[in-house]
Amino acid sequence: MSLLQGLKVVIVADRLTDFGGRMLAELGAEVVLAETPMADGARRAAWLHGMRRSDAPLESLLAEADIFLDGRRAGDRPALDDLAERFPELIHVVATGAPLGQVHRPATDLTLMALSGLMTIVGEPDRPPLRLPGEQAYALTGIQVATAALLGIAARRRTGRGQRIDVSAMQSAALSNYRGPIMYEWSGRIARRQGNLLVRGKSGVRQVWPCKDGYVTWSMIDNPGMMRALVGVMVDEGAAGDLADIDWDAILVADTDQAIIDRWQGIVGTFFARHTKEQLGAWSLRLGWGLSTIATLEEVRNSDHLAERGLFVDVTDGDVTRRLPGPLFRHGGGGPTPERRVPE
Amino acid sequence: MGALDGLRVADFSWVGAGPRSTKDLADNGATVIKVESRKRLDLGRRSPPFARGESDNPDASAFFAQTNTSKKSVTINLSDPRGVEVAKRLVAWADVVVENFGPGYMERIGLGYDTLREIKPDIILASVSVAGRTGPMAGFRGYGNSAAAHSGHAAMSGWPASEPHMPPFAYGDVVAPMFLTVGILAALEHHARTGEGQHVDVSQIEPMVHTIADLFAEMPAEKPANADLVMAPHGVYPCTGDDAWIAIAVETEEAWHGLSATLGGGLAEDPRFTDRAARKANETALDAELSKLTASQDKDALAGALTTAGVAAAPVLDGREVLEHPGLLSAGHFLTVEHPVLGTSRMPAPPMRMAATPHHVGPSPCLGQHNEEVFVGLLGLTPDEVAGLAEKGVLA
Repeated sequence: MSLLQGLKVVIVADRLTDFGGRMLAELGAEVVLAETPMADGARRAAWLHGMRRSDAPLESLLAEADIFLDGRRAGDRPALDDLAERFPELIHVVATGAPLGQVHRPATDLTLMALSGLMTIVGEPDRPPLRLPGEQAYALTGIQVATAALLGIAARRRTGRGQRIDVSAMQSAALSNYRGPIMYEWSGRIARRQGNLLVRGKSGVRQVWPCKDGYVTWSMIDNPGMMRALVGVMVDEGAAGDLADIDWDAILVADTDQAIIDRWQGIVGTFFARHTKEQLGAWSLRLGWGLSTIATLEEVRNSDHLAERGLFVDVTDGDVTRRLPGPLFRHGGGGPTPERRVPE
Repeated sequence: MGALDGLRVADFSWVGAGPRSTKDLADNGATVIKVESRKRLDLGRRSPPFARGESDNPDASAFFAQTNTSKKSVTINLSDPRGVEVAKRLVAWADVVVENFGPGYMERIGLGYDTLREIKPDIILASVSVAGRTGPMAGFRGYGNSAAAHSGHAAMSGWPASEPHMPPFAYGDVVAPMFLTVGILAALEHHARTGEGQHVDVSQIEPMVHTIADLFAEMPAEKPANADLVMAPHGVYPCTGDDAWIAIAVETEEAWHGLSATLGGGLAEDPRFTDRAARKANETALDAELSKLTASQDKDALAGALTTAGVAAAPVLDGREVLEHPGLLSAGHFLTVEHPVLGTSRMPAPPMRMAATPHHVGPSPCLGQHNEEVFVGLLGLTPDEVAGLAEKGVLA
């Protein structure tokens, strides 16, 4: 049986709860979509597939449910509080923008990301802050919603009672910023946008490099084994230049002058530019360079590795078939997969 | 009472991707025993910032402290077979084992899943690695940023027509442990109903793919930057002050009326912006007009005025402003704990409030702080055995 087979979930999907419901559906729970104001086709497919639409009265749905995922991005709904309280075994997960008890304010993924502190470090120093791709505040909140629901289930196993759990989207987004607040608290430093430069100590190193057919990511960091592995191949290829003579155990990249770093990076850049992503990626996998090829969306979807792990699945969306991520992770639970269909 | 009181976790994970998950469990009441070693120090203990700059003190890292709240720490040298034998006793005690070593490491030291099942047939093993335990890339050694590259995040980050962008933080080390927590909790529910354990195998790449499922549904040809598929305006606009910006997203006609009434400047009458389709078609011009109107305003005051008018708006905060945000502080987002080396310090709490089983965030452990309590009190070794094994570098 699948991990959550037999659990019944009702969802008011307002973007804050959507991914949480999808995760529970993917794990085998029966997720019934009671309300959703969302109309956009692509997003509906991405976040709601695997759920089943129902027009039954909410009260009758909740009477059968273990979990109620209650999205409140649009504001308080006291009537739903009263309704949920009638079912003492129900896990009632309420997702809001602002934390519990604070004044409701309109919020979207973009404004929640602004409040996370992450946008101020994403992008170029001379341009406006950027969000991460997709809808990360909604996704982060959704994962916390699924976590809250399962914590409630675990507690109910011991107590026999349900409870209300309030999840804050603002806090969910802010929690992902694991560097900014703590760095200020302990060093007084406020991080800003650095483009693709990784600044450590008194120098900065590149993170993104063009190669023959795209881009790879790799950084010259203080990892002597990694540097020796890379330079070893460069020597074999006749491309190591000055790098061949460096004792990587005897230097600290973070303490090296920027001009020297730039000269070394020039040599590495020339080497990378002569090779394809496939070749560089194969060397990295075999020799432990710490290099990753940067995949386009199409390349991700066509990845042999992800295909073998069964990540992408075909989802029926009306007359369209979309190729979307399906299983969340590998596990031994087995059991039926959710219906690969977007609810009406 | 915490939601996970009574749950026992043997935590072999280190740095970020595993420990953030076991923090979730520990803050909610599970007993999490973190297996570390002075011989192979958790790199999190070497990660800045440090209290008083004490980078050589393994207990002074604030990064480690915030990632490992509420746990216990023991030191076991897993490169010594005698250490592995002690670790097996811990496995026998545990309900859940968590690890994030490179694929194959647990097998090499004699703690692979098959061995764990021999020790405890219903054990739940939760693993997280860059590419997972199966597939052609299973042996890939990388970092949280590697997952951004392999998932499409890097390719879709940055400005249109620019090279891929890698922000200076490991988002894969944020999202993957959240999936691991969900996986562990789901496996526990399955165990409660069937009595079966299992191996949960989380790849950092796959959660990153999931969090941009909307992009895989849309397959845009170009990076969206701050733009939205349908909303306009939807962007970040300058305000007064150094690097001061406001994010504004207009989702409905009512919100548009609120925005144009608040900002003025003839927006409401401008024929280029009469409805959603027109605003989207003229988005570049709209963004330019908004930038002119916001540039002379304070980001906090303007965000307050706009949200009051029904517009989704927020100041773009930096690290200091997040730490000091009144809304986060009053929500208990950062809780004050007493730590023997860091002193009074603030640690992030779970972003939720459970009415019946609230979380409790305690300090992170000092290295090996709970050796005696665990080895003697829990695993049944004698004090002499512990002292002898410590002297031989086994419990170190």
